[in-house]
Amino acid sequence: MSVQEILADENELTHLLGAQQAVVLSTRVRLARNLEGFPFPGWAKPAHRKEIGERCIEALTKLPRFRKSHVFKMGDLPDLDRAVLVERHLVSKELASGKSGAAVISRDQTCAVMVNEEDHLRIQVVKAGWHLRGTWNIAEQLDDAIGASLGLAFSDELGFLTACPTNVGTGLRASAMVHLPGLCLAGHMEKVTRALSQDGLAVRGWLGEGTEAAGNVFQISNQQTLGLSEDAILRHLGGWVKTLVEQEWNARRKLAQEEGERFVDRLARSLGLLRHARLLTSAEAMNMLSHLRLACDMGCLPEGRRHVVDRLMIEGQPAHVQARQGAELDSDGRDSRRATGVREALRDFPEVGPPTA
Amino acid sequence: MSNPLKCSVCDAVATVHLTQIVQGKVTKVDFCEACAATGGAGDAAVFKLADAVNALTPAPAITCPDCGFTDVEFRRRGRLGCPSCWKVFGVALGGLLTKVQHETQHVGRAPAGTLPLGQLRHRLLAAQQEMTAAIAAEDYETAAKLRDEVARIAAQLDTL
Repeated sequence: MSVQEILADENELTHLLGAQQAVVLSTRVRLARNLEGFPFPGWAKPAHRKEIGERCIEALTKLPRFRKSHVFKMGDLPDLDRAVLVERHLVSKELASGKSGAAVISRDQTCAVMVNEEDHLRIQVVKAGWHLRGTWNIAEQLDDAIGASLGLAFSDELGFLTACPTNVGTGLRASAMVHLPGLCLAGHMEKVTRALSQDGLAVRGWLGEGTEAAGNVFQISNQQTLGLSEDAILRHLGGWVKTLVEQEWNARRKLAQEEGERFVDRLARSLGLLRHARLLTSAEAMNMLSHLRLACDMGCLPEGRRHVVDRLMIEGQPAHVQARQGAELDSDGRDSRRATGVREALRDFPEVGPPTA
Repeated sequence: MSNPLKCSVCDAVATVHLTQIVQGKVTKVDFCEACAATGGAGDAAVFKLADAVNALTPAPAITCPDCGFTDVEFRRRGRLGCPSCWKVFGVALGGLLTKVQHETQHVGRAPAGTLPLGQLRHRLLAAQQEMTAAIAAEDYETAAKLRDEVARIAAQLDTL
């Protein structure tokens, strides 16, 4: 069982042509769950945490969804491997920074359960593109299967009991990873962020809490978990994502129309730079790749190339670059290796043309 | 001249002064250079040190009989100790829940295999709430569907 397999295996987010969509990169649902009768991981003694971990992993690996799954114990993994899992959003930074947590990840990397993070169980389901219902249905099935084999902490008044009051109730955090270059270029993002947070949604950067929005990618998620049904939470998020997608398209079309050749020039320059640069920092790569994704969405590049851009966005992250190399690299080494990978992947890309979408 | 401030950790003269304001609650801490360096002055970790210092003063008023977690720990960590803590700290948490969640009653799913009665009650509450929202949004078509659902669940509950 190695993180190299995670990197090598084809999965929806990095390889499968056709799963990718304009604007929404991925849909994610996570459920916080705890076992009845055990202290939460942050307060549990090591012996308890060990017992919780063993019980959860045993129950999870018996489920059909986790047949031949990857089981990673954080304490056994080198730093670089843990960083790769964080960059893939398969585990959180919190889980990776401790030694006592574990993660059970399905073969297809769609489902990942973190064990002994802030809660005993964090069930996560991710799909490429915008598939809120489909993602939720899998999470619901997993939740039922897990609930049937492990006694979960629940109260009629407060719902699923969690370590932190911000998760109690449904324990549900639903989110969409959205790519908003149009709204960013038009300077509307601040307004959008304000509107969303006033309506109970959080806007975060690419790697979640406390990260910057590299490459114009944002994560939009619900804040409230108590007093709303799962359905109401999903509908609320879904309504906003639909609006955002519309506004993003409006902003893109307006920019393309107003800027004309300058719009195409911006995208073409990014392709030129990515194709020839010998050193690329991760922020620079993300921002240029964002332009390429926009070009694929707008028909300036063939739509069939979008999955290559998505893969480069994920594989261009620092730990991924080093894991591919099989060694830790200094900053220049990473930038050089990243540039090589990008150059190779974009070698046969066609020229950027005028928009058709 | 007034007396110099003392380091909250070791009583040496404090040269690093930090103020944190969270939801209107002001926390001030003073460190000597050495203690500030170990705490990583300038980042959030310093306040963890500050929290630890502050937590030394008050005596716990509530303790969870199941796991030994106290209200003092809760103020320090913002997390609870075990599922039973929710009952033990229930009253104390009510205000906080209204602040972070705006609600205090769960209306979502229940674990698989639990009594249908509990699930039905949850669904009834959820449907009622959604109906109110639909009426407020003047979406009468949805409201009518939800009204029927409320009636159906209520009838089911009556027969149990």
